[in-house]
Amino acid sequence: MTQPELRTRPPPTGPAATTRGRRRPANHRRRGVPRGLWIALLLAPALLVVGVFFLTGITQAVAQSLGYQPFLPGWRLSLDAYQGMFTDPAVRASLLLTARIAIIPTVLSAVLGVSAALLIRRLGRSRNWVSGIFQANLAVPHLVGALCMLLLLSQGGLLSRVSHAAGFTDTPAAFPALTGDEFGWAIIAAYVWKETPFLTVIALAALGRGVDDLENAARSLGARPWQRLVHVTLPVITPAVAGGAVLVFAFTAGSYEVPYLLGRPFPATLPVVALQHYNATDLTARPEAMAVAVVITVLSGLMVAAYLFIAGRLARRSL
Amino acid sequence: MTTTSRRVAAGAAPTQEATEPVARRPLSVRTGQRLLVGLLLVAVLLPLVPLLIWSVAGQWRYPDMLPQQLSLRGVGLLVDPRSDILQGLGTSAGIATAVAVLACLIGFPAGRAIGLYRFRGRRAVQFLLLSPVIVPGLAVTLGIQVFFVRYHLSDSILGVVPVQLMPTVPYAAIILGAAFANLDIDYERQARALGAGPVRVLLFVTVPLLRPAIAVAALLTFLISWSEYVLTLLIGGGQVKTLPLLLFAAIGSSDTTAAAALAVLVIAPPLLLVVAATRLLSGRSGNGVGFGRL
Amino acid sequence: MTGTAISLTGVRKMFGDTPAVRDLTTDITAGSFTALLGPSGCGKSTTLAMIGGLLDPDFGDVRFDGRSQLGVPAERRPAGLVFQKPLLFPHLNVEQNVAFGLRMRRLDRANTRDRVTSILDRVQLGAMAKRRVGELSGGQEQRVALARALVLEPQVLLLDEPFSQLDATLRAEMRCLVKDLHTESQVTTVFVTHDQAEAVEVADTIALMLDGRLEGQGDPEMFYTAPPSLVAARFFGVTNELPGTVRTGVFTAASTGLRRPATLPDGPAVLVIRPETITLTSPSGDDDTMDGVAVAARFAGTHLAVDVQLTGGPLVTAHAPVTTSVRLGAPMTVGLPRAGGVVVAADLRHAG
Repeated sequence: MTQPELRTRPPPTGPAATTRGRRRPANHRRRGVPRGLWIALLLAPALLVVGVFFLTGITQAVAQSLGYQPFLPGWRLSLDAYQGMFTDPAVRASLLLTARIAIIPTVLSAVLGVSAALLIRRLGRSRNWVSGIFQANLAVPHLVGALCMLLLLSQGGLLSRVSHAAGFTDTPAAFPALTGDEFGWAIIAAYVWKETPFLTVIALAALGRGVDDLENAARSLGARPWQRLVHVTLPVITPAVAGGAVLVFAFTAGSYEVPYLLGRPFPATLPVVALQHYNATDLTARPEAMAVAVVITVLSGLMVAAYLFIAGRLARRSL
Repeated sequence: MTTTSRRVAAGAAPTQEATEPVARRPLSVRTGQRLLVGLLLVAVLLPLVPLLIWSVAGQWRYPDMLPQQLSLRGVGLLVDPRSDILQGLGTSAGIATAVAVLACLIGFPAGRAIGLYRFRGRRAVQFLLLSPVIVPGLAVTLGIQVFFVRYHLSDSILGVVPVQLMPTVPYAAIILGAAFANLDIDYERQARALGAGPVRVLLFVTVPLLRPAIAVAALLTFLISWSEYVLTLLIGGGQVKTLPLLLFAAIGSSDTTAAAALAVLVIAPPLLLVVAATRLLSGRSGNGVGFGRL
Repeated sequence: MTGTAISLTGVRKMFGDTPAVRDLTTDITAGSFTALLGPSGCGKSTTLAMIGGLLDPDFGDVRFDGRSQLGVPAERRPAGLVFQKPLLFPHLNVEQNVAFGLRMRRLDRANTRDRVTSILDRVQLGAMAKRRVGELSGGQEQRVALARALVLEPQVLLLDEPFSQLDATLRAEMRCLVKDLHTESQVTTVFVTHDQAEAVEVADTIALMLDGRLEGQGDPEMFYTAPPSLVAARFFGVTNELPGTVRTGVFTAASTGLRRPATLPDGPAVLVIRPETITLTSPSGDDDTMDGVAVAARFAGTHLAVDVQLTGGPLVTAHAPVTTSVRLGAPMTVGLPRAGGVVVAADLRHAG
């Protein structure tokens, strides 16, 4: 071995130089392998997975939505699938439904999640097991959550029976239809039940030691409790919670099991529609399935882009 | 009053005004908080109640609040060798373990690159690695399904495991990336200076230091794979029978007891893992596993 | 703007079973610059937090200008706090950070902008007003933290080891800045530090805390020429101790027979001598002399530190001019002026 010790070069100028005295970035050469190549090697497996699967998948979906068939002869490109989709009145209903069951749970679970985190962090000894219960909820698959909501909220479910016992309703049909309904109440409930603890855990992590110190600094500057919440606590945890909210949105917009089990066959959310088309025995429905899937992706991507844009603008607000 | 050269002898008894201890936050606020937390806990636990009762219910007709008859039929179905359930349990466990191991193995070097090094395009790489998570994966799965069929990877575990890497590798890379960013690289340098080769440094210094993050990444990727339905359905073609697939079918059937019992089985291993991980990790930190280290 | 007088009476604070501050009673003059000095864990930061209102004492009273502050939360006390970490709000830029307190008071925009600009100029950060917190160096961050506290014109300024995370040159600059700001504003300043050289340089009064108690309070000179206790003397770097006894107003050192007048009650006592006071070369006529053997000599930059083992007595260290030639092992006579050294009570709490 020609280099028994690591040699370090001084950190390069540029972004690294303004990282105020944090650790020096690793700059050593590893046994003759240039730094750039080494980094590329480290990243290769992950980039391969994401690159091969994700990028290929997306391009294939787009291509197939335009009529391309990879292994079958006799295909031709056309926008028929998209035309068909946009002239179909059912698509609008699906779009609205999908937007509803994605946006409402995202907003609700963000608000509830942050509130829960603010409550939990003030607990003393009970904090550990309370946050433990929230984390345990994370382990429950969404599919099970859908079943739980079915058993709880359906017209023959537990809540309906409680309502009967309390004298509000006397038949299952008298209880409002929360499952298999047009609005998607049970779907929303299932998502809120699962995603609130997710955002609570994220918010709790963001509310770690550092925020206490910042709040003390704010106190010493004359900020009362409500002012501290609005001007210090919430702004500081917003990036993490917003990031989590983006994940929640993307998940709920693209999820299949929950809307399938808790909603109606028609109108169905876009992912359910996509799979309906995909599983149709008629292969000409394939492009339509792809088109719906591509639309889901594009819309979700636009929402994320919008969020990033707004977040960037907010960060540059002046005095 | 000037204070030049004034001496206060040590231990001299000062004139004391020992007043009462100062009051803490008022009792009403604390009770209100306790109440709200209680409500939260009820909301989190309530939906599981009908599930648990149904899993051991024989007959439970509307409008009774409790089953007319309890029965272990549901439980019996779970362990019945004629049903697919035990096999499904094995399949799910096997796939989830394989996916967790592979995702962490792939995410580890990626996390190291992102966390330890500053390089041009780092932001772009992070964004790219994050994309399967931000964007719904349905289009991707539909798009590549034909390839799996073509290369004989569909309808088998050989296809399901790789495709489940797509939602899991990003999480592994992010979690490990954050851990590497917090790692003090001087530990590795010190080990090298003491004569350890790069493999030894990795095994005996780096990995132990990162153990909490690796545990969180493994747990999270296991959970994601364990709960996965659509990807397994599309690529496995219904032939790879994981527990979520069986559960989906059970929910569609009219046998609520069976579905509920199966659902309890589906929850059990992840719950046990989360409890175990929390115990293991809060021994050091104080606040339990933080999944939200995104 | 003149500062407020602070008084602490019988203040006690426990954390669980551990007492952090025990029966602290002291007065801090309006407009003074007091250093709260002591080793880690002595309770000085806790005391500061109680003055500032971030912690409440378990017993005792904290008064500003005679008005009790018990039950007054930190946000309503007229005290500004600067911590070890700058704790700048990451989501705000420099001038928004500085303006924070004024915003909380709902001061109008024009006034706010004026005051912020002028304080930023005062700490020489006028050009950095629009910078984000992440772009600042450690010293710049602390200057912003100072500006943020001072723009509110507090009556009391509390600084908790604010420069301990900066390197030596920067620390010296910041000390000058704080001293200048104090001179201009005359705000009562309490400065917590563990570094006695820093305390001596910057404060006009030093309050020494050890183990939760106030060990002594006075101007810096006092701690050198007349330390109030043995532990205080040790904290300020005294290593020469001659144990002995006081009887009817006279102290007699056990080994060397040195005598000094003492105002202490009868009992065990210690004569502490600063190394600079002991002379090596021919002592003058009316000095006390002690015989011994030179055992070590260390070059310390500005002087030579010579260890002399006194015959039948302890080891003492003397500072000699750098050019002195010392023969190790040779017998030596050291001299001590008749008034040199201070008699303090023996420390019965910590043996040795």
